[in-house]
Formats: sequence, structure tokens, C-alpha cells
Amino acid sequence: MANIGWKDILAEEMPLDMAHEIDIFEGQMELMGQGKLDEKVFAETRLRRGVYGQRYDNGQRHDGFESRELEFEEIERIKGPDTIWHAPGMQRIKVPGGGLTAEQLDVLAQVADEYSDGILHVTTRQDFQLHFVHIEDTPDMMRRLASVGITTREACGNSVRNVTCCHLAGVCQTEVFDATPYSEAFAQFLLGHDDVQDFGRKFKPAFSGCESEACGLVMMHDLGYLAQVREVDGKQQRGFKVYVGGGLGTVPHQAKVLSEFTPEEEILPEAQAVSRVFARLGEKRNRNRARIKFLVAKLGIEEFRRLVIEERKTLPHDDRWTAYLETLPHYEEKPTRPPTFLNGQVSSAGFQQWFETNVYAQRQEGYSVVTVNLPLGDLTSQQTWVLSDIARKYVGDNVRTTVEQNIVLRWVSDSDLPSLYEELNAIGLGDAGAGTVVDITACPGTDTCKLGIASSRGLAAELRTRLTAKSASLPDAIKDLKIKISGCFNSCGQHHVSDIGFFGNSRRSGNFKMPHFQVVLGGMWRENAGSYGLAVGAVPSKTVPDVVDTITSRYVEERAKGETFQEWIGRIGKKEARSLIQPYMKLPDFEQQPDYFSDWGDPRVFSLGDIGIGECAGEVVSLFSMEIATAESEAFEAQVALDENDPARADSLAYASMVKAARALVRTQFLDVGDSPDRIVEEFKTRFFDTELFFDQYAKGKFGQYLFDRHQSPNPSPDNDAAHRLIEESLLFIEATHVCESKVGGNVLIEI
Amino acid sequence: MTAPQRMSVKFYFDELSVDVEEFIPVFHRWIRENVVPNELLLDVADYKHIIDGPAILLVGHEADYVIDLTDGKPGFLYVRKRDLGVDLPEALATTLAQALNSIRLAETDVELQGKLKLRTDAAKIVLLDRLNYPNQTPNGSGSNDAGQTAQSQLAENLGVLFGENVTVTRVENDAREPLTFELNAPAAPDVDTLLGRL
Ligand code: SF4
Repeated sequence: MANIGWKDILAEEMPLDMAHEIDIFEGQMELMGQGKLDEKVFAETRLRRGVYGQRYDNGQRHDGFESRELEFEEIERIKGPDTIWHAPGMQRIKVPGGGLTAEQLDVLAQVADEYSDGILHVTTRQDFQLHFVHIEDTPDMMRRLASVGITTREACGNSVRNVTCCHLAGVCQTEVFDATPYSEAFAQFLLGHDDVQDFGRKFKPAFSGCESEACGLVMMHDLGYLAQVREVDGKQQRGFKVYVGGGLGTVPHQAKVLSEFTPEEEILPEAQAVSRVFARLGEKRNRNRARIKFLVAKLGIEEFRRLVIEERKTLPHDDRWTAYLETLPHYEEKPTRPPTFLNGQVSSAGFQQWFETNVYAQRQEGYSVVTVNLPLGDLTSQQTWVLSDIARKYVGDNVRTTVEQNIVLRWVSDSDLPSLYEELNAIGLGDAGAGTVVDITACPGTDTCKLGIASSRGLAAELRTRLTAKSASLPDAIKDLKIKISGCFNSCGQHHVSDIGFFGNSRRSGNFKMPHFQVVLGGMWRENAGSYGLAVGAVPSKTVPDVVDTITSRYVEERAKGETFQEWIGRIGKKEARSLIQPYMKLPDFEQQPDYFSDWGDPRVFSLGDIGIGECAGEVVSLFSMEIATAESEAFEAQVALDENDPARADSLAYASMVKAARALVRTQFLDVGDSPDRIVEEFKTRFFDTELFFDQYAKGKFGQYLFDRHQSPNPSPDNDAAHRLIEESLLFIEATHVCESKVGGNVLIEI
Repeated sequence: MTAPQRMSVKFYFDELSVDVEEFIPVFHRWIRENVVPNELLLDVADYKHIIDGPAILLVGHEADYVIDLTDGKPGFLYVRKRDLGVDLPEALATTLAQALNSIRLAETDVELQGKLKLRTDAAKIVLLDRLNYPNQTPNGSGSNDAGQTAQSQLAENLGVLFGENVTVTRVENDAREPLTFELNAPAAPDVDTLLGRL
């Protein structure tokens, strides 16, 4: 008897489409193992499932003295260019809008301790990341996540990344309306949508409920939505101010206004039109200029807007554009407890401190949002399932992750706050200081990122420890500052929009390299990431705590009443700001200060030898290669179904593989062919069969005829023989599709 | 019973007079000097900012080594992730052998010598495999309680090692947590003796 696996156990609990996608991915892993898939195509495939590379996965590691080979078994087996199959990687898990249920937390905790190192890491895009994951564990991990409605699809790669939304949406004091259901509809609509499969780079959307606060950060997004209400004929109409072309990265861009007001029924078609324009005109080959911000800058916002409006007119109608609006009147979050008030309950000193920084009074009287301050965005599996019980007890499923790498519990009845605090504290999650200077954001940096230059997490941990130790005596002006750290110029730690930001780089002193951080001052977190900071110079990593002390002390001494940090930096100017850090910029020799030549939390002598090739901007592969790979996986699944003695399923999968292959070919000429098999077969016939482009020199139209026959006359009850025959035919059809594509030359390129 | 996908054993510190941070350079050196036979060591992860959890992790391909502070009980945790063998006794033998070997490495390390001592009369054993070892309570819904079978197999095999008076108690944890056992032995044999018996 075959072993029972998660696939069987969870068959009833996974949504069918998610289950099927995971089977396909597993099939592609197997094909890759058999050398039947191109390495770049497989790399793209796994990235689109959130299966990312991690530092040292090229098999090289610098041990402080020299670069050494890591002797993985089957060293020649790879999962992408220069990426060893058996090397552990990172799994990114999408959490749209950061919204989580208690049950999802349970499963996240379980997969973290069985497949990772037992640590869940919250990212600056409200995702989770697990590190040190083996690729062979990923399909079962995905199944377990799918069983509670979580997908990893398009968590990485050149796709629509996690759609972020204010963690306070729906309970916020200043919002225009709750942006949550819109962001959810947006995420669902674009997930796997045909029009978002051919982007030159990743695409990050965000939703925000108001203009003045920070949470949504729409100004630094590829596509950002700010809730607005206008009056039309005496009636209130909901919509969004839409921004496009923002982004951090090496060259930060402030987003431009695409539309002052897009009514709610138009946001999805407009996003689809934006996607099409980006897919069609965005840069594909030069990955450094492929984000939409470069296209908007190149065309100018007026021309870009015109193109989007024109594109919108050509879109075939889709019911999904507005279907979700019918559910909006019923959209609500339910608290688990009635509203109550904090009426002088006896509480600890720790509670008071925590209450000041970690509790936000909701718009709804008697309720608060509690921020669980996660150090460096980390929490253990064990903490997570206690946290899920705490959630069940106090707030039910009203849990969200935040872009500041924390978790919030919403709808806490106020009189529960003291006991909730004690319960969080008992599991090490009662740290005060959420959203203050001690709550430092950091990207993974050299800990796990292939592109990391300096240790952003090591530095963040050091600063957090030092600042927490003196937090009681810190002046208020300093307490509210934001510190954000990236391990390199790619800005995943969002350093551009913090008061005091850092990104990793290096300098040479004598024969040695020294880890450094570029200091970026005066960025603005509020007003949806309203402005970017000023880079003033690079200092050795080990001096950063002193640099922070120097800058903040000067600010406290010199600030005018009510003057913000941004205003102060603006007033003193770049030259003076640089002079603040000048004393730290001098590089000592190795002999004078050897500890300067290693990074925080890492005693190895610093080296750049471990930097690999990042996968954020991966490989250039054709759209055809990606789509034909899915067809091949479907054919592979058909074989598996036949082995499992299920000829009906084998037959239907073999047919689906031919349709997918035909679609891949058609889409080299006609992107909008859609999903209908009738339409695909028709287009295939007209474009490739009738023109004889698909014909084999000897077999002529035979392979194409396989598709037509099965399409026109499906076998109502295929036996094993019939299914087997159809599988053989589908494989021949797919082969012929490859030959045809190389003959006619597909020209649609995508990048990971 | 089939070997679990992952298995861990944690021995508790009797003495620990070093800051957990001091394990970082030690673990980096272990990687450089390739001190663990038959295992590929990869990297060191610093989680000491997490309260009541793993503090410093030496990540390997086959196994992780953790200075673990969970439950307020500092210990040396060995997590076997791959190549556990075909059945539970084999998985236990592999995991214990490597865990004990790592204790010996830590206790005799040039930088740690004399600064730590681990107890061998108590340990926590975890079967990290909810598919084959679901954590159902004996009276729970599952008719085949993997926990009971695992417990008797563990007791039988650990008896050979730690003496027949060893007790293996199933920890009454939540069903979401992995199946967990506490080992208690009347005496604390030294590591070499235990390794010799394996
Ligand atoms: S900023 Fe650089 S180091 Fe940090 S995660 Fe992004 S690419 Fe990696």
C-alpha cells in the first residue's frame, strides 16, 4: 500500500485550484530532477511559488580566512543557475493585507518547526518568511498552508507581490473608510491573472485608508490606493486616489498621481489596464530599469495615464471587476467580546509602559488595537501557538501583520488589556516600545540574503539592546524616531523613509574590507512615506551606535519647539549633517581596531565573498518557456494519475496539457486569447495549423490533429489504454509545440 | 514504526558560565574546522534577541545545533533533519549518537572548556513529524495512538543505554505541538560511557 501523505490527508481541505497548482509544482520538481526542465524556467517556476534562494546556496562560503566549498551531496544537481538543489532556501508566504486567523497561525507555527528552524519572520511587506527550508519539503508545506487558505503563489518573482494594507484599516481614527475589502478583492483578482504574467520586474501594490498617516505607504509603491469619498448628485461615492510608479530600491521614486479619483467599481479594471501597459512597454532586458517607476519616468505621467485610459477602453468585460462590491455592505469584523473600559484596574508598571506605546484606541469605543512588538520581526513556533490561543481568547481572527514587522491584535476589549499584556509577557512577547525608536526595522541582510553586504539584523539587534536599556531616560523627541536598516542598497529595510536610516556597504582599509553603513537622514514615514531621506556618508558598522547617539543628542539640543527630525535635518542641510558623522568616517587600520573588520554578531573577518546573484531580478526567460513548462507538468501529472489507476483523470490532464501547450503557442502572437479551450483551439487552428506552421516535415499535421480529436470528441469513459494513448499524444503534441515555437520565434520575454 | 521526518534531543546545562553570545565564534570555528564527522555545517544564526527560545543556532545540512533557552531551561539541543534511518530505533540511535558527540565537543572545546557541563540524566526528545507521529492524546479521537507506541519503543531503546530504571514520560502538551517525551535516568552516565553503549 502506498504511504499516506499530506496530499491525501488534506485533499478535502485544500481549495482545488491551490491543490492542483501544488501538484504541478511538485511535478516540475521531479522533471527538474530528471533534467527535463530548463534551469532558468525552473528557477522562475519555484520563485513564483515563493521558493527563494538563500545565502551560500551556490555552495561557497567565506569562513573568515578563505572561501570554501560546501560539500553538499549531489553537488551537480541544481534548482536554478548557480543554485544547488540541496542547499537550504527561503520560503516566502503571502499574507494579503497581513490578515491572519488563529488557525492559520497554528499551521504557520507547525510548518516552521517541521521544515524550517522554528522561527517565523515577519517581513516589511506583511509576509512571513521561513529560512533554511529544503526544497523537497516545499510541496507538503504548501499543502498544509493551503489547507488553511494560505498561498505562496507569486510571493516572489516578477509578479504582483503581496498586496499590503494598513494594519489599522477598519478601526482607524483617521481613515476615510476601511480599505481592507478592496485590497482583498484586488489581491484575489490579480493573483495568477493572465495580464500580470509578463512583467519585467516585481510589482508591489498597497492600500491606505487616509492621507496623513503612514500605514499604507502608498507613495513608495508601484501602485498605491488612498481611500477617498466624493459627493455625486448628493450621494456619497467611494473611490481611491491612485498613485503609480513609486518605489525604493537603489533609486527611490515618489509615486505620481495616476488618478485623483477612481470610483470603486473602476479600481480593478484600471489596475488591469496598468498591468497591460506595464507588461507591454516596461523594460524587460535591463533588470535595473525594469520596475514600473522607470516606465512612468520615461513616458511622463500624462502619457502613461493616457495609455492606461486607452487600454481600459479595450478590456473585455469581466464580472469580477464589480462582483465583490455586492458583498461590501456585509463586510465586517466581529469582536469576540463586548466593549468595555479600563477603569483603573490594578496593573503592573510594565503594563503602563506597554500601554503607552503598544495600545491604540480604536474608532469603536471600548476597543483597542494591541501591537505585539516582535524583536527583528521574529517569533518562535512555540510563541506562535500560544499567541494563537491568546488571539482566540481575546480577539478571534482579528490578527494582522504589519509593515513594521510586528503583529497586531485588533478588537481587544479595553478591560482585557492588563490580562492580555500579562499573557503576552509570559511568552516573551510583552516588549513595550512598538513604533518607537527601539522598534527597529531590518531586512535579512547578510544573515540569509544572497545580496547582503552588511549585517542589518546584527546592527538592529545591537541598537535595540542599547536603546532599550536607556529607553526610560530618552527624551520624547528621540523616542518617536524611526530607525530602519537595509543590508544593501536594495532598500528592503525601507531605510529611505525613516528618520535615521542605514544601508550596508563596504570600504577598504589597507588590505582588508570593513563593513560600513551609509547614513540616510530625514526620511518621512508619515503621510504614506511622504519624502525620502538624504544620504550623508558612510561610517564603519561598529561605529553606528555612537553615530546614532551623536545625531540624536544634537537634535535634542538644537531642535526648535515642535520641530520634527525631518525639519531639523532640512534646516541644518546636508553639509552640516555630514559634519555630524565626519569624525566616524576615518578608517582605522586592522592592527589598531581589528573588531571593526568584522560585523555585528559575526566574528569572521569581513568579506564580500559570500555575495551571490540575487533572485529578485532573476533570469530572462520567454513567456512561452514558462507556459509550456506548465503544460509539461500537466502531462506529467497525467502519467502519475495513470500510475494511480485513474484513467479518467489521466485523460483530462493529458487533454489539459495539450490545451495549455496550444495556448502557450498562441500567446506568442495573441496575448489575449483567454482561457476558453474552444477559443484556444480555434486560434491555434487558424494561426498555426491552417498556416501549416505547426506541421512536421514527415508527420505533417498529425500532432495538431491529436488536439482537435480530443477536443471535439472527448472519451466519456476512457480506460487505461485510451488514457495511455492520449498521454503519448499529448507528449508528441507538446514536442511539436516546442519545434513550432523555435521555428516562428516567440518574442514575449519575462524576467523573474 | 517509520523514522520520523525530524527528531530532536535536548540535554540540559548543569553549569553554564558563559554568555550565549560566546557560542557564536565557537560555532563559526566548528564550521571552519569541520569538527562534526558525517555532517555538513553551514552557518550560524543569532536569535538571542528572542526571549525564551533558541538563542544561537549552528545550522547544518543534516542537523542543527542550538543553544536553547526555551521554557527557562537552558540546554544544548540537537535537531536531526535528514538521514534518520528507516525506523524509530534507528532514528533515535543516530540522533542520540550525534547529540552526545556534540556535547563532548562543547564540553571539551578550547574556548568553552570548564565553562559548561551538561546533565545526562535528563533530556527532552521531540518527534517533529505530525504526519507519522500526530500528537493525539491516548483517549483522543485517533484509534492508533502513535504516541503510545513511540513511547514504548523509546523506553525500550533508552533502557539499554541509560539502565533499566530509565523513565520516558510523554509530555502532556497541546495537540498542535509535536509529540514530546521527557527522559529521566536514575544516574548520569558520562558521555563516553553512553556513546560506548550505543
Ligand atoms: S536590502 Fe539588500 S540585503 Fe536586505 S534583503 Fe534586500 S537585497 Fe537583501
